[in-house]
Formats: sequence, C-alpha cells, structure tokens
Amino acid sequence: MSAPVLTTHAAPVVGDGTTGRSRAASRWRRWRMPLGILGLLCLVGLLAALPEPVTSTASLAPDNALPGGARAAAQILGDQGVDVRYVRRIADVERLAGPDSTVLLVGDALIDTSHTDVLRKTGADLVLVDADWAVSELTGSLGAGSTTGIPQKRTAECDDPDAVAAGTITATGYLQALDGTAVVCFPAPGSATSAGGAYGVTTVDDQRVAVLTDRAPLTNERLADEGNAALVLRMLGRHERLVWYIPSPDDVEAGGSSRPGIADVVPPVVYVVGLQLLLVAAVAALWRGRRLGRVVTEKMPVVVRAGETTRGRGRLYRRSRAYGHAAAALRAGAAARSCARLGLPRSAAPLVVIEALARASGRRSDQVEALLYGPPPTDDNGLAQLARDLDHLESEVHRS
Amino acid sequence: MAVTWRAVALAAAGILAVVLLPATGTVLLWTVLVLVVCVLDALLAASPRQVAVRREVPSSVRLTEAARSTLTLTNVGRRKLRALVRDAWPPSSGADDNRHRIEVPAGDGRRVTTTLRPTRRGDAHADLVTIRTFGPLGLAGRQASLTVPGRLRVLPEFASRKHLPSRLARLRELDGRAAVQVRGPGTEFDSLREYVIGDDVRAIDWRATARRADVVVRTWRPERDRRVLIVLDTSRTSAVRVQDAPRIDASIEAALLLAALATRAGDRVELIVYDRTVRGRVAGQSGPRVMPAFADALALAEPQLIEADWAGIVGQVRQRLSQRALVVLLSALDPAAVEHGLLGVVNQLTERHQVVLASVADPEVDALRSARHDAAAVFDAAAAERVGLERAAVAVRLRQRGVEVLDALPDNLAPKLADTYLALKAAGRL
Repeated sequence: MSAPVLTTHAAPVVGDGTTGRSRAASRWRRWRMPLGILGLLCLVGLLAALPEPVTSTASLAPDNALPGGARAAAQILGDQGVDVRYVRRIADVERLAGPDSTVLLVGDALIDTSHTDVLRKTGADLVLVDADWAVSELTGSLGAGSTTGIPQKRTAECDDPDAVAAGTITATGYLQALDGTAVVCFPAPGSATSAGGAYGVTTVDDQRVAVLTDRAPLTNERLADEGNAALVLRMLGRHERLVWYIPSPDDVEAGGSSRPGIADVVPPVVYVVGLQLLLVAAVAALWRGRRLGRVVTEKMPVVVRAGETTRGRGRLYRRSRAYGHAAAALRAGAAARSCARLGLPRSAAPLVVIEALARASGRRSDQVEALLYGPPPTDDNGLAQLARDLDHLESEVHRS
Repeated sequence: MAVTWRAVALAAAGILAVVLLPATGTVLLWTVLVLVVCVLDALLAASPRQVAVRREVPSSVRLTEAARSTLTLTNVGRRKLRALVRDAWPPSSGADDNRHRIEVPAGDGRRVTTTLRPTRRGDAHADLVTIRTFGPLGLAGRQASLTVPGRLRVLPEFASRKHLPSRLARLRELDGRAAVQVRGPGTEFDSLREYVIGDDVRAIDWRATARRADVVVRTWRPERDRRVLIVLDTSRTSAVRVQDAPRIDASIEAALLLAALATRAGDRVELIVYDRTVRGRVAGQSGPRVMPAFADALALAEPQLIEADWAGIVGQVRQRLSQRALVVLLSALDPAAVEHGLLGVVNQLTERHQVVLASVADPEVDALRSARHDAAAVFDAAAAERVGLERAAVAVRLRQRGVEVLDALPDNLAPKLADTYLALKAAGRL
C-alpha cells in the first residue's frame, strides 16, 4: 500500500457564501411561516374574545345583561348622573362610601358582623336587598319575614314618598315593622301592612336604611313592570354616588385578621429574585442550546447476525412440534460425522453404517439401529434424550 | 449569535443587585443590561466569515490507523480573532477531539489538527467547519459553518498481511523444490544445473549431459504470469454479520492476502466487485501498483441488500479472461443462494478455468449445534445440524462440478485461501 498523500485544496475557503442581507432573507423565509401561524392564532384569539363584552353572570350585578342581572337599572342611574361603583370587597366599600353616598347590599349569605359594622360606620344611606340577616343586624326596627313565594303585584299602602311614587310593584316577602320608626309598604294583596310588606324604610342614628325583601324589582327582566323602576331609581338615586356591593366569597374579613398564608410568610424579595433566576435560566438555556455546527449523520450498516436464520429455523421446528424433522437432522448429522471419522463415504448404505458404528462403539447393532433409524421421539424429553444418546455414540466412535 | 458561560455569570450577578434593590424594575434593567452588553460584544467580535480556511488531509489511511486533518485558519479581517473551531467529521471517522480554541491577530494564521481514528472502511467526507468567534469580553459571539471539502479514504485493515511472510517462504520453497520435483504438467523449465545425489534421474537432460562432462539436470519452477481473477460478491449474503464484522470484511482480507501473494509469485491479479452490476474493478495493474489499486477498490466495497446475478458474473469473467485462469469467488456457501444462482452457471466457469469458492463460515452455528441445555436449544441444534448438512451437500455438488470449496472461519479464510492457491500452484493446476 502506498504512503498516504496529503491533499490540499488549492483555494482556501473564506466565508460561507452568505451576506448579512441573504442571511436575514433566509431567516425570514424560515420563520415567516411559524410567525404567520402564531399571528393568526393571536388574531383568532382576539376575535374570539372581542364579542364578549365585559359582563359578569353574578345575580343583580350592574354589568350583568342577563334577565337576572341589573345592568338596566345601573345604566339608567348612570345616565341620570349617578356615579355607580360596582365592588365585591368590603374594603372597597369602606374606601368609596361616605355620608353623602348610597350603599346597595345584595344578599347577605357571605357577610358577617364585621361587614355590617363597616356598613354602619360609613354613614352612607343603606339599601339592603334580599338581606334578612343584615336587616336585623343593622336596624332594630325592622324584622325579617320570609321571602318565599313568587313575585306578585302589590300596591304601596303607605305614605313613604318613594313607595307612593311607585304605586305598584311586583315583589314578594313579608317585612315587619317592630316599632313606630319604621315604615313598611307593599303588603301582600288583600292584607294590611302590619302583616308585613316587601319594602321598608327606617332611620338608625341618622343613617337611612331602605330594605327590599325581593330581588325581582331590580332585575332586568322586571324593572319595567309596574312601578318597579320608580321605586328602584328613587331608592338608589338619592345621592351622587352609589356603591353597588355584592359580597364575594373570597373577600377577606373586614377586620383583616385573616389566617396567614404562605404568601404572607415569604418576603417580597424572593419573588423578584425568582424573576432574576428566570433570566439566568434563560441565558443558560441560550448558552447550552446553541450547537457548535450541525450534527453529522452517517448511514449505519445493516446488522443481521449470521445465526439468526438458523435460530429462526429452530423456532419454527419447535412451534410446529416437528420432532421427526429435528430428530432426523440430529441423526443425520451424527451419522455423517461418525462416517467421516470411520472413513465411510457419505453415500454408504444404512446397514453398512450400522455395522461400522456398532463395531467402533462396541455396542450391539440393534441398539445402534434403534438410535439412528428408530421411530422419532414424540415430546421434548424424548428429543433431548435422543440428542444425548447420539452425543454418547459419537464420543464412543471418536474414542475408538 | 451565541452566548458563553460568562453571559450566564453576568445574568447571575444580577441577583446581587436585585437583593440590594428588590424591585421588578431592577430585574428589567438588568435584563436590558445583559442584552445590550451581549449584543455589543457580539458586534465587536471578529466576523467568522473573514477567516480563510484551508484543509489538509491524507488521501487515504488504513483502518485502525490514525490520520490527521489539519485546518489552516488565516485571519483576513481587521479584528483580532478569538474563536472556537470545530472540524466536524462523521462519527465513524473517530474525530473525538475536534474542537480547538484559537487566537489569531489580524493577518496572521494558525493551524489546528484533528486526529481521526476511523472505525469504518470507505470514504469519509468532512462535514462543515464551524467557527464561533467571541467578542472582547467573551460574553457572546458570532458563528458560521463553512463548507471546506475533504475526503479521507479508509482502506481495509489488511490484518491478514501477518500471514504473508510465511506464505512467501512457502512460495520460495516451491522454487527450490524444482530439483526433486516430478516433471509434471504445468511446470516451467527454468535452468540447467549439475546433478546432485537425490535428484530425480528422470530430470537428467541427456543432451546437455552429452555436451558437457557432468551430468546435468533440468530444474523447474512454478509457472509465472498466470492469471488470477478475484470476484468479490457484494450481494445480500455478504452483509451478514459473522462474529462482529460483516462477511465481506473477511472476504476483503482474503482478497488482499491472495493479491499480495500472487503478485509476488509473478501472476497477474485482477479484481471484480460485483452483485448485479460492477461496483469496482482492478485490471491491468502489475508490480507495486497492484496492492494500492486493490486497497482503493476494496475500500469502497459495501454490501448491497440485493440478490447476486451469477449469470452476470460469469459474463464478466468470460469477458475478462480469454485463457485459463484461477477464478476465486469470494461469496457465501449459502445453500439457497448457491442452488438458485451459482450452481446453474458454474459449469461455464469450470470448463475453462480453475474455480475456487471461498466462503466465511459462522462459528455461531457450531455453538448452536452442540447446545443441549433445554428443549429450545435441542431444536436449535437440530436446525444447525440441518444447515450444516445442507451446506455440506451443496459443497459436494460444487466439488462434483470441479470447484474447490473453501469454508473457513473469518480469521482463517485468508490464510486458507493462500494455502489453496499455493497448493494449486505446486500441483501446476493454474
């Protein structure tokens, strides 16, 4: 073999044939498709989000346009110059409400005395809708009655100016005046106000408290019925500002004595350090992620072991329980090797082979005949036994 | 653009700033700082496209030996080049340590060397040369991959050359045996010399004896200028793995040893690599040019997963050879393949030439045959027994047609084929 010759390519290679412009172009070609798809996805997402106005589905929420919402009332109030503030937290009520504002409370299932204390302290006019417990908590002169039953048409039957202006409303509920300072209106049809009505007004320490036992008059669905609108607007529009308070389940207690969570224990610096660590991780990913040139591939050779076909044949014999075939092969192999050892031709007749083997091994010829030409075995043990016997015979022949 | 661990360290240093001034703004500011510094550093780095790269690589190397791929990098830009260079080769080329860190002032050059230890025969083509340059701060850099062509032909190992000296000695013995050799067919007259006791009296040349006072005998030497045609079969049977290497590797070793031996013996050796078409050929070479040509042609011989076209092989042989020659078929003694291919056409070869079929035997079949440890093993043994019988039967049929059949383990094939050649030569059957 010749000594290796060094080959040098005459012209040195400078650059990879690209310019900044061509690289930018190829990058753009490579990325425009993914970028386009991403942009399309963003656009579709935005379009899907757009027709959905900012509304909620909370009952009597001022931004709820469903039949059970109260957007109609809130919008009318807004048009009339009332500053409607929708809040879900008592802290916001405390911040926004003052003596010259109205606070509307819808439902009292999620509040406790700390909330009612705050409501009392604001000094604002209170309007309590569907809040029996809060009524008894905030006023001593009105007693909560049941609010069951479907809304029915009721007339004022009292001399409260708001109720009189409304005339009739559709509502249910039986609110009772416990003393003379409270006025109760809209009793059930055919009964007196002393039996309880849907609307009541009282004044507690210069704080006017109006109570509506039923949510129905406020809803979008029923606002236009009878005099509902008149009552609601007069009730809520007494001041420039209306704080629309619907208690939220996740509102912390007004006292601020909530159970300390993990968020209170962790110092705020940890979050910022976490952000910084994110940056470090991003840079580290860039550092490790950029390969120094492409991965070089290579065709791999086929790997087929030579013994595979033989093993496959063995498995075929076994699966088809071909004891006859297997035994014939073992016998023929042993006979061929023994014959070669004894100098017999491959084409020797069986009788000659038997005689020669019997002589060489010192066995009886009928034994040798049974071993070499006997009936084939019928099970695994028989075949294994035959193989062992043939091995013995062969070793005896080879020893001779 | 690429960043280094220093950029990560710079980003990590921001943690200190954040602890001192814990605000989201600090993180944002630090991010912008890292970004700006990295981009500036990358912009200040020398361009990887302003480097002239020249490659030097040996044209060929023998398998298991090491070769060196040398890259000469010249900085043709105006900035100082700090770079990491990767000289990429396919995995089987064994370029393990192929990353080099260099610093080259403007206008200067550097040489980096990658050591290749190929593990596969054939042509290895160099992949891209990747240059990543770093800025003055070493924070970030730029990267480009250049196509710098290079080809390394990995020649067969020729491990069987260790058998060559002993076979050459045997060849010289053949020469020397002339005096006592029977004057048989196929031996050539060499010279006359004085009779010594022990010489065959039938070798006495009476005319020459009459002319001179002494008794003179004729001496003989083996025939020279015989033709040997080696046919390497690269069809599917050559792809089979015996022990750890495909069959074709053992065949190539045998072909190389035979070519070396026959060339020294003064015969003309030719090679055809064939399956359904000619994959390689060596013809018309003589003397010292034979072995390089063989190594070159055999380096590229790869097994193809197709059936051999034996009629085509016979056609090639008839086209190449007009007179009697030794035709060595390096194939497999695979009963099915031989019965459907070679047996049908071998008569056309044997009627004019001496044919030798050299096949690689599989030691695994022998191991299977003697296994007895469970029922499955006995069935495998029976299958191995059957395969052995079929091989023997097919070998007998080939011998009946005048073919010398050689079935040897991979390591033994080359010396056995050499011995067969010597035996044929001694018997004057070439």
